[in-house]
Amino acid sequence: MKSKITFLSIISLAVIWTFITTAQAKADEFGAVVKTIERFYRVKHQSIPFLARAGMKAATTAAKIRGGQYKRLAEAGSVKIVFFQDQDFDSRGSIANFKNALSSAVGDTWSPLVQTLSPKDEEQTYIFIRDAGKKINVLVVTLARREGTVVQVDLNPATFAMLLQSPEDMGKAITDDASQDDN
Amino acid sequence: MNKLFHTAMRRALPLLLLIISAAAVATAQDPRVQTTSLDHLVGKASQTVNVNIDERLMQMTAKFFSGADPDEKKIKEIISGLKGIYVKVFEFEHENEYTPADVESIRSQLRGPSWSQIISINSKKDGTVEVYISMTNASINGLAVLAADPKELTVVNIIGPVDLEKLAELEGQFGVPVLDIEKPAKTKKLQDFGLKPQLKN
Repeated sequence: MKSKITFLSIISLAVIWTFITTAQAKADEFGAVVKTIERFYRVKHQSIPFLARAGMKAATTAAKIRGGQYKRLAEAGSVKIVFFQDQDFDSRGSIANFKNALSSAVGDTWSPLVQTLSPKDEEQTYIFIRDAGKKINVLVVTLARREGTVVQVDLNPATFAMLLQSPEDMGKAITDDASQDDN
Repeated sequence: MNKLFHTAMRRALPLLLLIISAAAVATAQDPRVQTTSLDHLVGKASQTVNVNIDERLMQMTAKFFSGADPDEKKIKEIISGLKGIYVKVFEFEHENEYTPADVESIRSQLRGPSWSQIISINSKKDGTVEVYISMTNASINGLAVLAADPKELTVVNIIGPVDLEKLAELEGQFGVPVLDIEKPAKTKKLQDFGLKPQLKN
């Protein structure tokens, strides 16, 4: 009897541990993307100050896209963001290698939606999306010669549908919205 | 044992051939154009834009456009039934940075049995624009645009029931670049600009 309980306990612990590690692995693509940027470009990110983050919770700010007024894009509390400021993003002609490294970091659960690259200006935008039930996870990576931003937000499908009309502008709209300070 | 094997093979062979030919037909009718052969141009191009909107996204998007608002209703009508929009644009600083082989890697796919070229515009100054439609069971299931000018190479691939009119309405939206392709009724006007439209069935 005692050995049966011990066996069941071990199995339960193993199942719980597997669940936790799977959930962590699933949730950590954002971190993997940030690390990939840091390793490839030898840069260091800065997190957004706490007060600015608190300001993002307001859901009433209007964002103008394609001439219309809309509510805040990102779902309240869903924003993850890191900045890279005053740093040197120089791929030394191997921007395609960075693109591949980024795709590996993001993994298979995300689908690439938009990529815009200007190797000469070191400007890059990548948008990846993932189905999250009633919401859509959107991961936006924007890099320029001296700065960069990584944003992950949850969007409701209606907002996403509106943004999809102009996918080239989606990255900027989401990044601007996520980094907006309402205070 | 050997006899049994031969009998089994004789019976299985027609079935195997049927499966292979069905798979070949399915592949031939797939209107998705593969553009990975152009990936090496990323390093050469001054700007690259790559948009991938798959069937799930198209259907979800169509669902969220209101039928009541006139603008949204129009968008809903345009994208209804579409199963994907895939766009690749390479802009170059100088001429001749992509090769005829790069263009041929796309064009060769559009010579498949389901594809027909409906427009071919050649201009020394502005390059070429070719529009192809893919048909299956007498209905359009895809469209492809291959636009190659000296400093730009564009491939647009729309999956689903799409004609030139719908393409014109999609221009500037959902990643489809403005291609300035005249609708069929107006193609004569292209001659006014020194271009030579060739309509094929």
